[in-house]
Amino acid sequence: MMRKQNFKQQVINLTPFMGLLLLFAVFMVLGTIKDINVAYGMKTIVNQSIVVAIIATGAVFIYTLGSFDISLGASAAVSALTGGMAYNATGNLFVAFLVCIGLAVMISLFNSILASVFNLPVFVTTIAMLSVLNALVLVLIRLNGTGDEIAVPSAAVKPLDTIGFKLVVLIVYWCLCAFVFCFTKIGRKQKLLGGNPICAKLTGISDKKMAIIAFAMAGIGVGLGAFVSIVYAPTLTRNTASSVGMDVIIAIVFGGMPVSGGARSKIQSAVIGAFSMTFLSQIMTILNLNSGIGQMVKAAIFLLVVFVATFNQRNKMLPR
Amino acid sequence: MKKGKKITTKILGIATIPTVTFIIMIILCAVNGVKLFETTGNWIAFFRAVTSVMLTTFALSINLNSGRFDFSIGSISLLSSIISSTICIKAGLTTPFMLSVSLISGIVLGALSGLVYVLIKLPPIIVSLGIALFYEGLSFAITNGYGVSFVANAELISFPSVAHYLEVIIIALCVIIILFDYTRFGYNYRALLSGQKVSVNMGIKEIPNAIGCYAIAGGLMGIVGFISATNTGNIQMALNFGSIGVMFTAFLPMFIGGFIGRFCNERIGYVLGAVTTALISLMYARLDVDSSVQQIVTALILVGFLIYLNNENKLKVLLIGKRGLHK
Repeated sequence: MMRKQNFKQQVINLTPFMGLLLLFAVFMVLGTIKDINVAYGMKTIVNQSIVVAIIATGAVFIYTLGSFDISLGASAAVSALTGGMAYNATGNLFVAFLVCIGLAVMISLFNSILASVFNLPVFVTTIAMLSVLNALVLVLIRLNGTGDEIAVPSAAVKPLDTIGFKLVVLIVYWCLCAFVFCFTKIGRKQKLLGGNPICAKLTGISDKKMAIIAFAMAGIGVGLGAFVSIVYAPTLTRNTASSVGMDVIIAIVFGGMPVSGGARSKIQSAVIGAFSMTFLSQIMTILNLNSGIGQMVKAAIFLLVVFVATFNQRNKMLPR
Repeated sequence: MKKGKKITTKILGIATIPTVTFIIMIILCAVNGVKLFETTGNWIAFFRAVTSVMLTTFALSINLNSGRFDFSIGSISLLSSIISSTICIKAGLTTPFMLSVSLISGIVLGALSGLVYVLIKLPPIIVSLGIALFYEGLSFAITNGYGVSFVANAELISFPSVAHYLEVIIIALCVIIILFDYTRFGYNYRALLSGQKVSVNMGIKEIPNAIGCYAIAGGLMGIVGFISATNTGNIQMALNFGSIGVMFTAFLPMFIGGFIGRFCNERIGYVLGAVTTALISLMYARLDVDSSVQQIVTALILVGFLIYLNNENKLKVLLIGKRGLHK
């Protein structure tokens, strides 16, 4: 009986990964049937997923605490624009990289310190920050751009605009996050705080310190995502990373992470979710579905996958 | 004497924020050589903002107060306005019909959203993300991505007037107060809000109550969609969560309303919160303030207000000392 339950639990845990494999298989089969260039399609998928995967990996730390940050996309946009401006001023890509990371970490830390010092709900702080950052995007473009954009010369980023470079960034950052999350006290403390904040506090874990660490880790991810955005699309506009904020939430949940955080949090959820969502979008494109119908199918599959992945977490009462 | 003091405190608590905001807005406009309310258009814009923000605040707060975060309210507003305008344009119906169809569509869409929530029992935030994507997609599919335009339809764009908006404000406020304060539904809602587990164990039926809340929120957003559509005569599409921005307009009035609600009915607090934000919006419009500056100032006001709310006691201790606080 116990073994059967364990098996069932393992199957449920593997649902998001199985979903990703299934989507990959469907993409390959459809691509072959419809005679599209599958290799090119895969390159597109990696390019489209990578920014969300990097940012979402860092965001797992915030979600593990049971809170969430809606301003990550806007933060990535501001960091990318500032990084672009830094390149245009210095002609040095490494300076742009440092500016992206530094600014993103500063924004993230500002969010967490504001929430910690003034006892504000993190979510509302990030909503306010979302407005400020969206406004900053417009201001930066107006002040430093040529018309509606800030453009980094594409020749400057071309050597880095390869799948290899982007995958290396993702893998290195993911390994760092996985190490901190799975093999250090920080990860364990964060899971305990997310699962049972009262118990965690009574054992001496500082929620403020953990929140600051979580936001700093997420900030590094946002900075890396912003830099990869510059490399992939060096013409930066008000639409740069505009949908990333919500895509991050979807990716994390789609990848099997509970929104309530806690012990069930998984660092791999972000990457699985980000790639799954892009595979799904590409499948809709191959099937030539109307964008609206495509989005409806995506929504239905999203709910279905999350429903199956959390099948064993049902309660008598409605979840809140 | 004590009763008189209590009434004065209540009146001060209710009126201070809107009145002070009004005075500041008047002064800011006067300094720049304009009047806050100069033309009929200004009055219409003000009452339209009050109505939309008030209804959105009601819709957001109904579920948020119960711990259910709902990202889908913007998409319900979008889809219900598309359904109602498409039907009315095709059938040649008038504005009251459009309002009714919008309201009914909103109720149905909200109830469906609630039904999905109670059936699959996922956290409301996840369900609302899925529903928002679905309704946005459906809106896009219905109009082939072109949206709906009825700028030339004089009948359907005849709604905007101060009297009409006032009617909507009064009716919506009365209905919400009656529903949530004077019915069994409202009693159950408040019981579930203060203690979900105890209420369910006592026999209160949580599922119909939750669906009812989503349906009411949907109906309110249906009216918001109608107001927005009849104002411009245009409904533009939103994909990839483009519709969730509507929700953010309700946070500041909701927190202001929550504060004012300490001195009167919370729903009246939300109306005054909406009045306060509408005054600020009108000032932005009258002074032609840049949209990015507007966003930053509004966000700062929200954060400032929240800092005050969450540190009220500490601030009181700082200002009047511990003794004064205990008096």
